[in-house]
Amino acid sequence: MTQEEALDWIAELFEEPREKITPETDRKAIPAWDSLGVLTLMAALDEKFNIILSDKDVRGMEKVADLLQILRRNGKPT
Amino acid sequence: MAVTFTVSPIIRGVTSCVPPRVVDNLEEAGEFQSEEVGKVVKLAGVRRRHLASERECSSDLCLAAARDVLQSLEWNPASIDALIMVTQTPDYFLPSTCCVIHRALGLSDKCAAFDVGLGCSGYPYGLCVASMMLQSHGFRRALLLHGETPTRFSHSSDRAVALLFGDAGSATALEAASSRTDRKWWFSLHTDGSGGDDLILPGGGFRDRFPQDARKHYVFMNGANVFSFTIKRVLPLIEDTLRAAGLTKEEIDYYIFHQSNQFIIRHLLRKAGVPEAKVPLTIGEFGSAGGPSVPLTITRGNLLRPPDRSLTLLLLGYGVGLSWGSALVDLPPAAVVNHVILPENCTVTGRG
Repeated sequence: MTQEEALDWIAELFEEPREKITPETDRKAIPAWDSLGVLTLMAALDEKFNIILSDKDVRGMEKVADLLQILRRNGKPT
Repeated sequence: MAVTFTVSPIIRGVTSCVPPRVVDNLEEAGEFQSEEVGKVVKLAGVRRRHLASERECSSDLCLAAARDVLQSLEWNPASIDALIMVTQTPDYFLPSTCCVIHRALGLSDKCAAFDVGLGCSGYPYGLCVASMMLQSHGFRRALLLHGETPTRFSHSSDRAVALLFGDAGSATALEAASSRTDRKWWFSLHTDGSGGDDLILPGGGFRDRFPQDARKHYVFMNGANVFSFTIKRVLPLIEDTLRAAGLTKEEIDYYIFHQSNQFIIRHLLRKAGVPEAKVPLTIGEFGSAGGPSVPLTITRGNLLRPPDRSLTLLLLGYGVGLSWGSALVDLPPAAVVNHVILPENCTVTGRG
């Protein structure tokens, strides 16, 4: 998965316009990425990539770049 | 523990009981904005919940359920050899809630009675203990009670739990098989205490009996961690149980999930490759009632019951502890399955 594909996926997941989503986009700028959105994200990561987020992962996610980093760390090159 | 089995006892009846007060999350949003409530209702699937009053306890819900099942089966209370009460919302620290119910039901002094302090995983654990007792000599009839009132320890401003929980009790009447049988029930029981802080009621026990911070009297849940735990543990639980029993996914009539959250359950069944038709949901009408949501889903999940054979049920409990377990059991066609609303004046104290 390229970084562009990953950003497409994140935009679709949180129902945001694609142009709004960059690695620097802050989580707070994405309304759907609230505490309920974290569950949606966790389910999507598990379903699509078999990635189960740790407590540290969840606490450490502040920007889209942090999510890209998690994908990279789990062998999904972005 | 690996998967284990017992000689199959017979489920003669299951009755669930809920308090009469119903709250519609969309109509009574409490401290939350309606948009926020809408999102929670859509995701978690909880539309309505039954809430216990300050005078209604798990014991009362289980007492009403027990009375119903005994009456339906025409069982003399004196014939009950064992009473097992599974709860984390007891009436008192002491005596055990089983003793309170023992008195209210008028059971015999020859009846063994004890509490099991487990929550979401409590029904598979309780069935395992009951079936082990029934396969030994001397115990013929057992009542397994499982009740929780989580709304009484959830704070009205805590979005993680306030719109989620409902209250329920249940009674399951079990009897030892009357002749030698090769039928088995299978169980897989697990614990990971390292996740204990992820779902905890920190105050009021003897570790912190009179906390200064009033919030400690209410439950705390780290929803993300509990979700991670569920994803990680429930699928292997299903696979291990089926493998040990030599059954395929298709041979299970119904998978009865602890009704934790509709979104999580649907995610799990997609991952497991289990069709939605085999997974009854009651969370929409009753909320998440903890472990008793499993027997509640047996009674209220619209299970299709053929008249000529038992249903094969895989019961799944997972949550607080962290603790998780499965029970692969059969529900005979003759088993009485009922649901009651807690009647007025039906309390263990005899007062409404």
